[in-house]
Amino acid sequence: MFIFRTVLAIAGEDFSVIASDTRLSQGFSIHSRDMPKTYKLTGSTVLGACGFHGDVLTLTKVLQARLKIYEHDHNEKMSTPAIAAMLSTMLYYRRFFPYYVYNIVAGIDDQGKGCVFSFDPVGSYERESYRAGGSASAMLQPLLDNQIGFKNQENVTKTSLSQEKAVNLVKDCVHLGSGEGHLYW
Amino acid sequence: MEYNGAAIIAMTGKNCVAIAADRRYGVQAQTVATDFQKIFEMGPRLFVGLPGLATDVQTVSQRLKFRLNLYELRENRRIKPKTFMSMVSNLLYERRFGPYFVEPVIAGIDPKTSQPYIASMDLIGCPMVTEDFVVSGTCSEQMYGMCESLWEPDLEPDDLFETISQALMNAVDRDAVSGWGGIVYVIEKDKVTIRELKARMD
Amino acid sequence: MFLTRSEYDRGVNTFSPEGRLFQVEYAIEAIKLGSTAIGIQTNEGVVLAVEKRVTSPLIEPASIEKIFEVDDHIACAMSGLIADSRTLIDRARVEAQNHWFTYNEKMSVESVTQAVSNLALQFGDDDADPGAMSRPFGVALLFAGIDKKGPQLFHMDPSGTFIQYDAKAIGSGSEGAQQALQDVYHKSMTLKEACKSALTILKQVMEEKLNSTNVEMGTVTPQRKFHMFTKEELEDVIKDI
Repeated sequence: MFIFRTVLAIAGEDFSVIASDTRLSQGFSIHSRDMPKTYKLTGSTVLGACGFHGDVLTLTKVLQARLKIYEHDHNEKMSTPAIAAMLSTMLYYRRFFPYYVYNIVAGIDDQGKGCVFSFDPVGSYERESYRAGGSASAMLQPLLDNQIGFKNQENVTKTSLSQEKAVNLVKDCVHLGSGEGHLYW
Repeated sequence: MEYNGAAIIAMTGKNCVAIAADRRYGVQAQTVATDFQKIFEMGPRLFVGLPGLATDVQTVSQRLKFRLNLYELRENRRIKPKTFMSMVSNLLYERRFGPYFVEPVIAGIDPKTSQPYIASMDLIGCPMVTEDFVVSGTCSEQMYGMCESLWEPDLEPDDLFETISQALMNAVDRDAVSGWGGIVYVIEKDKVTIRELKARMD
Repeated sequence: MFLTRSEYDRGVNTFSPEGRLFQVEYAIEAIKLGSTAIGIQTNEGVVLAVEKRVTSPLIEPASIEKIFEVDDHIACAMSGLIADSRTLIDRARVEAQNHWFTYNEKMSVESVTQAVSNLALQFGDDDADPGAMSRPFGVALLFAGIDKKGPQLFHMDPSGTFIQYDAKAIGSGSEGAQQALQDVYHKSMTLKEACKSALTILKQVMEEKLNSTNVEMGTVTPQRKFHMFTKEELEDVIKDI
């Protein structure tokens, strides 16, 4: 099974950042060093998907088809929260033969605020302000807790995240996760 | 290794080293005590951290102290961190096919040269000596992530304390079987500072 | 006149040589026999008002229902065959809930109307999904609701055609009522004015004397969502007209 490693996303006040590494591997052998796993779904939504690449390809195709159908039915682009809700139902419909994919959706919500949604393979999902997914998530998540969530810090002013800081942090994280990276914001 | 849970980090700074551990003693998901000792003094400037199976932690710490005492009586001098590392490695490898379930972390300052020294080891005594930091325990991935991004060369003792504390606390907060308080030893040439960390207790 | 049509009266999906579908036209005629219903859209919300034909003193007026809740934010008034409307309203409710389930957002009024019109158009189709009928539905519907675009009013007829209106009347009194609506309607109408106008116009076109038991009125507003007027609230409006 070809496996993708890392995705992570951060939501800011009026933006969000999502990034992934670009390595595709099978066990310890590297299959490709240049395969992004972030997918632009609409003008305001990007999906990051890691896990089994075959399922990632199928899931993104089905998603793109569903987005087109929605656009035709309702004469508007799907909002990021609506895409997240739909993705959750799509994953849950495969409850007993799941897509082996860990998803993170990043974008802008109806109020123009940055938003990030993270998923498990069977559709449990949550809106968060930052999330790391994939096999390097254990390394990245505590760092995000600390640097963005200001966890375990006292007497600090919890300033809202600037776009520059978010992008730099995400770059650091991707380099931490593995050699190569790919970034959207 | 996951039965009791633990997290230990050692880091070097400018003419100093630090070693930090969580304080939880639990049986799988059940927390039993929050004042468990995982770092043991092996000399005025030498400490060993033992994450792993609690019963082996205590046995190994006592057997190490036993061998260390014999060494210091025979040689009539303080042990060098490097020599102590070999001693630990030896003790563990003696149990190559029925190992103690501990993966030690060693931090100290050379009594003669005052060189900082840190090392870690797997459960059968294969050593790894580094210049920057070593981690060991149930949340080693989380600790690597934190150390990899927070650590920088030549940290002063106070900055080293802040760095190692943040690395430990944020790592254990993403692990279910370690945490519940922390303790940090900052070792300098002429003093050792011990601080207890006020961490989240859930 | 009817003799010339008879050849093409049977098949509901058969065009006449003049390009007409008679069964659909008859269905549109049929709804002109129904009770009058009025919908008015204002900036504050939408109001629906219908007359109830209480043809016997032995009828329990409360059992006649002609305004339905589709979802929190959408209501529907009907005129024509009540039984047919049940199928359409059921579909509207299912579609609205399905949309909420899948997208975690409220379905727009237009999309609900579109979904119902899809069903209304499936008559005579043997392979169509359950709910479709062998003849056109004999009802006209007024969908009133609030969505992203604000208050909205849609009218759908038995052919499945739907059009958005500022104010619309359907049923037997619709011709007179529509004319009256055109006269009183203005863009800056308040919801209170609209409620009053709706009942005033109903009163003009109804055969019986209008009272709180033989009319139904409901509003959809951003604040209260769908709200059916109680007997007391109705009397409150009626005493002013």
